[in-house]
Amino acid sequence: MPRITRESEIVWEGSIARGAGVVTGLSSGAFALPTTIASRVGDPEGKTSPEELLAAAHACCYVTSLGGELARAGTPPERLEVRCALTIDEVEGIGHRVVQSVITARGLVPGGDAAGFAQAASAADDGCTMSALIRASATVIVEATLEEGEI
Amino acid sequence: MADRTASVTWTGSLTDGAGRIDSVGSGAFGPLEVTWASRTEDSDGLTSPEELIAAAHASCYSMALSGALAKAGSPPEKLETSATVTFVPGTGITKSAIRVRGTVPGIDEAAFLEAAEGAVQGCPDQIVGTLVRVRHPARPLRGMHASVTEE
Repeated sequence: MPRITRESEIVWEGSIARGAGVVTGLSSGAFALPTTIASRVGDPEGKTSPEELLAAAHACCYVTSLGGELARAGTPPERLEVRCALTIDEVEGIGHRVVQSVITARGLVPGGDAAGFAQAASAADDGCTMSALIRASATVIVEATLEEGEI
Repeated sequence: MADRTASVTWTGSLTDGAGRIDSVGSGAFGPLEVTWASRTEDSDGLTSPEELIAAAHASCYSMALSGALAKAGSPPEKLETSATVTFVPGTGITKSAIRVRGTVPGIDEAAFLEAAEGAVQGCPDQIVGTLVRVRHPARPLRGMHASVTEE
């Protein structure tokens, strides 16, 4: 597989405190979203933030990693639901950093058992590009649940 | 401290199935479709973890730079920032190239480039790496430019 490049852009107008930006996915054109500093540090009020975009990237990356691990183990999933909660906080002497990302994964896996799912969930964290990136500065926590019936 | 969340559902296998970013905490976007093919080949109008990271990095960086310029007494009128993220399968995310173009009253190019370099460290989502290169443009096209690559 060749290397992959994806590009996004933001245009920011005015001051950081009272101005606003629009962030656009340039490679796909799939989104164009307003963002402000107030929506980043306080109530989002319907606007996105870098942290929410990272949470979406991590959830999206992890779900493909988990699906790949389950297929490799001979138990391809029917359905996976992954939620990511990403936290930034002030780190003494450094400033604000990504400090934690919590992944919650639920799966409907024909022929799979809880132990196999837990193993795949852990391997998926090891193999997930975004987990590796975030782990460089923060803790990554994975909570995985195998569903018995419909989810 | 700020928490941001996102939820993704994946149905079917990695290569033939498809995912959806169902929702994010702010409600600013979703659902957005994602597939393995759109991630690793032509984006075909669909987003990917790498594009979302590029969006997060560009928006985070813009806020850091805008804040730094204001602190130095020269708040920007407008910043246009793009991030290009490179993903090497098997290795991970190896590079995020930031290009920024600013309209900043009362500042010279040297001071702008210094602020542009400093903003890399001031961005909490600076999780890509520590090696920083600032490329000095040969001739500014409009406003002032700086290009920062983390790898």
